[in-house]
Amino acid sequence: MKQFKILEKKDFPQFIKRLSKKHKVVAPVSRGNKSYAFTQVDSSDQIAMKYIPTILPPKKYFMPQRETLAQYNKSKKTFQTVLEFEELVIFGVHTCDLAGIQCLNIVFSDTPKDINYIARKNRILIIGLECNDYCDEYASCKVMDSHHPNGGYDLFFTELKESFIVHVNTLEGEGIIELTGLFKEATSNHLKEREGVIAAKKKIFKDEVDVHYKDLKPMFDKSAGSKVWEDLEKRCLSCGNCTNVCPTCYCFDIIDEINLDLDTGYRIRQWDSCQNEDFAKVAGGESFREERGQRQRHRYMRKFSYPVERYARHFCTGCGRCSRTCMAKINLKETINALAKENR
Amino acid sequence: MSKPRVAFFDFACCEGCQLQVANFGEALLDVLKLIDVVEFREVMSEKSNEKYDIAIVEGSITTNHDIERIKKIRNTAKVLIAYGSCATIGGVNGMKNNFPLEKIKKYVYNKDANYFDTIATKAVHQVVKVDYFVHGCPIYQPEFIEVLKSALRGLPYKVPDYSVCVECKLNENECMYDKGITCLGPITRAGCNSWCINNGNICYGCRGMVTNPAKNAQMDVLDKYKIPLDWIKNKINMYNKAGEQAPEEK
Repeated sequence: MKQFKILEKKDFPQFIKRLSKKHKVVAPVSRGNKSYAFTQVDSSDQIAMKYIPTILPPKKYFMPQRETLAQYNKSKKTFQTVLEFEELVIFGVHTCDLAGIQCLNIVFSDTPKDINYIARKNRILIIGLECNDYCDEYASCKVMDSHHPNGGYDLFFTELKESFIVHVNTLEGEGIIELTGLFKEATSNHLKEREGVIAAKKKIFKDEVDVHYKDLKPMFDKSAGSKVWEDLEKRCLSCGNCTNVCPTCYCFDIIDEINLDLDTGYRIRQWDSCQNEDFAKVAGGESFREERGQRQRHRYMRKFSYPVERYARHFCTGCGRCSRTCMAKINLKETINALAKENR
Repeated sequence: MSKPRVAFFDFACCEGCQLQVANFGEALLDVLKLIDVVEFREVMSEKSNEKYDIAIVEGSITTNHDIERIKKIRNTAKVLIAYGSCATIGGVNGMKNNFPLEKIKKYVYNKDANYFDTIATKAVHQVVKVDYFVHGCPIYQPEFIEVLKSALRGLPYKVPDYSVCVECKLNENECMYDKGITCLGPITRAGCNSWCINNGNICYGCRGMVTNPAKNAQMDVLDKYKIPLDWIKNKINMYNKAGEQAPEEK
């Protein structure tokens, strides 16, 4: 039997208090009207338990927006790699973002292994949080099969009426149970209540687009000359919002910076975006994807086709961030449906 | 190796960018280890006597006399760095170009208008060749230092050609549009680390527009957030007018 524990809701504040005394804890915190961001917390009042996906996904802890990879000294002719990491507990990760982290894990563990990523990942504990209902109309987590947990966490919280039922998935997760000392064994009633939540979710979550999961890749593979991309060409701003907020976009640029002594310096990597004007520009000024429509098509192919070929996994988690953040109303569900309509 | 002689000059501007340099704090000490400042009106009374290697120029070109002066500076300097919006894109002085020249002259100087020589506002590169640009009103200090390091090493400095939104998202700010506020971030070139939005203000477009600002798409954005076109036009007007000539007198 799976290992389930119970945390009474009244004990939740104490749980966060005890956990944050021992660990750096980050959790979704409200940022303005309808925005949330993973932020360090030390009290449960700060945490938004009902939140729509944060502005940036938790990937910012696995591959920060900007991180140092190496440092050098010109006069001494030295070049040393740098590993930056910190111990961290991420609380309240929705299942879509768990899927996103799993995608990144696959990419960065591929040859050659990305040591900087792995050093961080190995020190991060993840506490998942089940969505009992849709966050909003932008989500398409059902069709991407990430509306329920598929592993990738140490502990996983599902909200019941009076308590949270917690699945313990790893030894590190068990460590948190022991450290906080607030958890009880789950009874058969709790397990039954959990099954009720899952059954209710089956009724709530329905395929959000007119295409079946399995038909997505073939559909995108046929779409190269589609009118849909011409339409996006006219509508896209190239602001890069869609890729920067995406939980599975991992493109980065590497830059060598120098200190004011003009002798020592460091190599950094920072997030880059295929939507940026210069992304595919090469020496001589030629750009392989000059048109915004081409860049949008590339973004979609990097979610629904190329990674399926290479890793047998879609790199869209259905979190809806790209559509939610798009200034120009470009909507993933609408794009998929438009392609499906063309195919019919 | 002797330190390069660096002279700071100003044209039509508020001299606020000079203040930013003078205000570098600790970094200023490191900067002064690399360069020999030979002229800088705001912080010293010595003059360069027209002997300098690098000219760092603030302000826009607004008179015929300015043209002569900047040409002379260009002929003397091996490297010319334009810094601050006034110098790099014309900046707020460009608003003058909204009006016929004679009319605006009279408006400002009234009966003494004839004593003043004035031309349509120009950015420095519209008159002489500029080697490096540090955009912004005022300049973003870390970027100025990056440009200086590039100049001292003879390397090009690449101003980002993507929008402020990119940096703003990386800083995880709540979008101004979601707060119901118009912001020029989507069309303004980055490089300032979304400085204003990080501090609760909007982007005023002081760094100039990206090369490909996607006009059609902008209209969709205005439509989505129900923003009248004029609001955006007025905001763009504030910094981005120097590219245009003054209208003819009617």
